[in-house]
Amino acid sequence: MKNRLWMATGTVGLGLILGACAGESGGEDSSSESGDATQISFMHWRGEDKAVLDEIIADFEEANPDIRVEQNIYPSDQYQATAQRMLQEGSTGDVFTSFPGAQFESIQSAGFFEDLSGEEFVSNFDESLIAVGQKDDTQYALPYQLVFNMPVYNKGMFDELGLEVPKSWTEFQEMADTLLENDITPIAFPGADIGPNQFMNSMMMNNAPDEEVFQKLQNGEESLTNDWWVNTLEDFKLLADKGYIQDDALGTNQDSAMAMVANEEAAMLATGSYHMNSLLDLNPDLELDLLAPITVEESEATYEGINTATFMLAVNSNSDKKDQAKAFIDYLSQPEVASKYANETGQHLTVNGVEYESEALQNTSYWIDERNTRFQPRFLITNAQIEDAVLSSIENVLGGEDPMAAAEAAQQIVEENRE
Amino acid sequence: MRISKSIYLFFLPGLVLYSLFFLYPTISALFYSFTDWDGLSTTFQFVGIDNYTRAFTGDSIFQKTIGNNLKFMLTVVVFQTLVALAFALIVIKNTKTNVFLRALYFFPTILSSVSVAFIWAFIYDPSMGILNQVLELIGLDFLAQNWLGNANIAIYSLAITQVWFHAGQMLIIFVAGLQAIPEELYEVAKIEGASKWQAFRSVTWPLLAPSATIVVAYTTIQSFKAFDLVFAMTGGGPNNSTEIIATYIYEVAFKSYQFGYASSISVIFMVIIALITYLQFKALRSDRVSY
Repeated sequence: MKNRLWMATGTVGLGLILGACAGESGGEDSSSESGDATQISFMHWRGEDKAVLDEIIADFEEANPDIRVEQNIYPSDQYQATAQRMLQEGSTGDVFTSFPGAQFESIQSAGFFEDLSGEEFVSNFDESLIAVGQKDDTQYALPYQLVFNMPVYNKGMFDELGLEVPKSWTEFQEMADTLLENDITPIAFPGADIGPNQFMNSMMMNNAPDEEVFQKLQNGEESLTNDWWVNTLEDFKLLADKGYIQDDALGTNQDSAMAMVANEEAAMLATGSYHMNSLLDLNPDLELDLLAPITVEESEATYEGINTATFMLAVNSNSDKKDQAKAFIDYLSQPEVASKYANETGQHLTVNGVEYESEALQNTSYWIDERNTRFQPRFLITNAQIEDAVLSSIENVLGGEDPMAAAEAAQQIVEENRE
Repeated sequence: MRISKSIYLFFLPGLVLYSLFFLYPTISALFYSFTDWDGLSTTFQFVGIDNYTRAFTGDSIFQKTIGNNLKFMLTVVVFQTLVALAFALIVIKNTKTNVFLRALYFFPTILSSVSVAFIWAFIYDPSMGILNQVLELIGLDFLAQNWLGNANIAIYSLAITQVWFHAGQMLIIFVAGLQAIPEELYEVAKIEGASKWQAFRSVTWPLLAPSATIVVAYTTIQSFKAFDLVFAMTGGGPNNSTEIIATYIYEVAFKSYQFGYASSISVIFMVIIALITYLQFKALRSDRVSY
């Protein structure tokens, strides 16, 4: 009897011990003391930047031998969904990045942002571009990258065909007709993935110049059935009906759309400046610039393009290595470090004094200071289901639905999800 | 025979694991389904049956996901069962060729779902995809479609991928079921003058019913939970036409931070699967016979 009891308890005990051992050897705490150095975790979504960040981290570790930095990289979709959970747990993401908009709001309301307002390195950033990381006069996060979420166009092709950048909707259509006459698809639109959520911004920026329009939509003061959105959907329909975007656009992913532009089958890529480097990798002979469709007449246009200050650097309030985390952000915000990051990733940055070396970055830098761009409206939709309804109405129209009917269907979902 | 009380301790590890990994999450989901918990805060309010009322009366996307899921499930169950059965009948004998073919048909099952999604997204690409190119090559270009971009057919395109992915797994179950049928029964049927179809209808199918029950039930559950394939291939689009309950739960929980509401949808989801599986078991059990 006693033997049996011991066997039974032994079995349970062994199971528990094995389980515990498995747990211990299964993974390493990404934010731990590593030898004499303190290891911090840098959590972000830019897998494509890993190599340059590795180099920057190596330099940082040389200058700060008591700190080790480990990158924890998650794909952007997964990052949006799971970052909050990991920050709550506290072992990952001593330094982390946040998207502006819904994710920033969610992390802020959960209290995971350390207040960075009084830190000296804040002054290393362009003051006009970091407001998106503030709430209630507190600087919670510092956007690092400056992205232009508007079509990239083949400037060389435009020059060859004698085309000017259109300044009105009428001129835009004339430009698109000329491209069609030359057997070139005006816009490569990756409707299967990021096309709708990127192109909606420039398509609506002058139809709804009020920057609070989505805030008003969420609180019931605005409706998708009003002119600003129905007109935007009608403009999308026109693009599809006239063949200004490729056939079967909703089945085209971003790789296929990029290939169309790289092969010069299409003149514009309806995504953003972050794809310029990839396009040049595919075809180094391309001469690129940015072009947002002006969907109103020239005299009515308020904005010339879209910007997003994103990849917002922050310190986890649950971290017990905040000083080391701040030291790393301080390092990233040094102009020479930021210049290295900018030039190797092909991104514009929000850091002061960055020197852009590549032709593509130099040629488009005028968008930072000389053009009137608007912060990406989509990021001002803080309710994910309302955002989904807005995007679905675009897909619906491109799938053949009447713009007003699509707007009404989307508005119904908005009303179901208002808080 | 007197059973020692200590024997009950042997149930303990299983009971602990079952409680920890099934009972506790299930009860938690049920509990949170009556709250407005956002998944991050330490506080929440009880909202009674509001989440359930919202799901059935105030959430048109959820209602659409049920329809999408039923379309997906029916397509997968019918085609996967028929394809698996047809192939099983072809490769039932243990010849070298058949063993090779079984392994070949089973091969997609061992691939990761993300790889499958990547392969099929490329096959379905309307401009560069191999499917439309082959259709054009053989003169059937009128059949070329925007397979994943057309809201009317995208869910069926996904279902075909799911069939390709899992039919091999079901084929193995059918082969095992077919090989267990005594050869003598076919000999008797032959002596009685039964045609091949009559032998299939009166011998094979009734004796294959237990395997068919497993295949249909498993396929149903699998198709309701086909999260990874849908997520990786269409993300629920276009216009929510491929959004299924599993992907919608993810959207609501992890993108909208409405864990309470997502929990209520999960509970409804569990009830729907249980109900459909029960009905299938009941319907297929009536086909069972023993000789």
